[in-house]
Amino acid sequence: MNREILLEVKNISKTVHGLAGSKVRILDKVNFNIEKPEPLGQIISFVAASASELTSLLKIISAVEKPSDGEVYLSGKHYHKPAGDIVFIPENPSSFPWLNVRQNVEFAVRRQEYKTTSIVNNVNETISLVGLEGYETHFPDNNSLGFRFRISLARALAAGPKIILLDEPLKNLHGETKKEIFNLITELPKKICVTIIIALTNISDAVLLSDKIFLMTRRPGKVADTIDILRTNDLNIQSDSFHSLKIKIEKLLSGYENNPSG
Amino acid sequence: MRLKTAPAKNLYKYIISYLILWILLFEFILPSNNILPKPSVVLMSFSALWNYYRLLFNFTVTISAVYLSILLAYFLILLLSGYIVRKNHFVSEFLLSLHWFSNYIPAIVFGLFLIYWLPGSAFIEYLFAFLIALFSIIIKVNEDAAKVKNEYINSAKSLGVAESVIAKKVIWKFIQPSVIKYLIVLQFNIWSVLIAFEFIKGGYGLGRIYRLALSYNDLSALFTVSIIVGISIYLSAQLIKYFKNKFYHWSLD
Repeated sequence: MNREILLEVKNISKTVHGLAGSKVRILDKVNFNIEKPEPLGQIISFVAASASELTSLLKIISAVEKPSDGEVYLSGKHYHKPAGDIVFIPENPSSFPWLNVRQNVEFAVRRQEYKTTSIVNNVNETISLVGLEGYETHFPDNNSLGFRFRISLARALAAGPKIILLDEPLKNLHGETKKEIFNLITELPKKICVTIIIALTNISDAVLLSDKIFLMTRRPGKVADTIDILRTNDLNIQSDSFHSLKIKIEKLLSGYENNPSG
Repeated sequence: MRLKTAPAKNLYKYIISYLILWILLFEFILPSNNILPKPSVVLMSFSALWNYYRLLFNFTVTISAVYLSILLAYFLILLLSGYIVRKNHFVSEFLLSLHWFSNYIPAIVFGLFLIYWLPGSAFIEYLFAFLIALFSIIIKVNEDAAKVKNEYINSAKSLGVAESVIAKKVIWKFIQPSVIKYLIVLQFNIWSVLIAFEFIKGGYGLGRIYRLALSYNDLSALFTVSIIVGISIYLSAQLIKYFKNKFYHWSLD
């Protein structure tokens, strides 16, 4: 049985101004569909050798940036103006330094107070969902990147989105913090109905995090392959299935290097 | 190369050293000179400044013009911040075009033109100070607004927040500490231009005292008023710094 389409990206292209007035095509006719998750959430990754095309793609999906061509549809409706249904979290955590944890989360909730579609509309619940209970009055500055990411994530969740877009959330994290944020992201779709789309350049992270991976070519970026990942308990960094998937993705990506059309 | 500023502790040491040097040099070694007045004469000149030059009244006129204009301009901009920080609107483009001239013509020259055009009255002095403060802060706001990182704006936008709200609640909040810090520079500029205004127009204020003191060759009055101006600017700068550090702890970086 075919599942309902949640996100439909049709022929998205993006051309930017390069050096000396030249025009550079960074995305070329990107097409893909993402189905509605059942019964809870899902994690979809976009993997490419270069991160800049992925960032542009996420910005276009969230409607904070306009494509040169193409359209984005959310549940069948043209999504061309940011409305809080698709929330973008940039690579560097964007929590506001003048607001404490609670106020940062309320920033999204206040706007949503007359909306009934919020997935999580209670500030306390959202704060506890990202593991920040007890830190409500703390400010983001002077705290770790992981702490600031949690605030950005809580604020995004408070807006009640259908999709959250994460741009390289693990890139600047190390050790225990990376592990904690990794677990936070993987656990989230098990608790609430939200689709998380992640832009990644690290293949291992993509394999361990995702239910599905879209592989993108180098500039101009386009979706070249899709890999469905059967999430089982034995999928871990030491397992054979992990290594074979990783090698398969590496081969595909290096194939795009030699043949950029994908 | 970045110059190091003297720590406060050393600064006080220098000030005390200069004070001792001044007393030794101009009270005992060179009592008759045309460089700096004798410390004892400066002390005695206070009564003349108080009575003859109407120090309290003139000081109140200048200081109130400086700080009322800054406060009024700041709160007006705070009120209109949602509009002012937005890019590419007529007002910001017009002011930035004026700012281009200030790269090549010193700002004080604009002040001199205004002094020439405007009649000399207390109201005009306040208006003059207010306009300088308003335009200077708007230009600073526009410059800083362009430095706010896109990631903050994009993440707020994707939440579905209106542009006017982003301008007021994100961009303005981001630049507020930098704008408040700028008030330290601004107050110095307004003190300078207002003293020049009062000096040229001859109305009221410390500029008038400078004018009278110069016409009487009263070196001690010139010296004392300069010390009063310096202390006022220093104390105000400390107050602004304290206020900024206490309530606006974040930075644009």
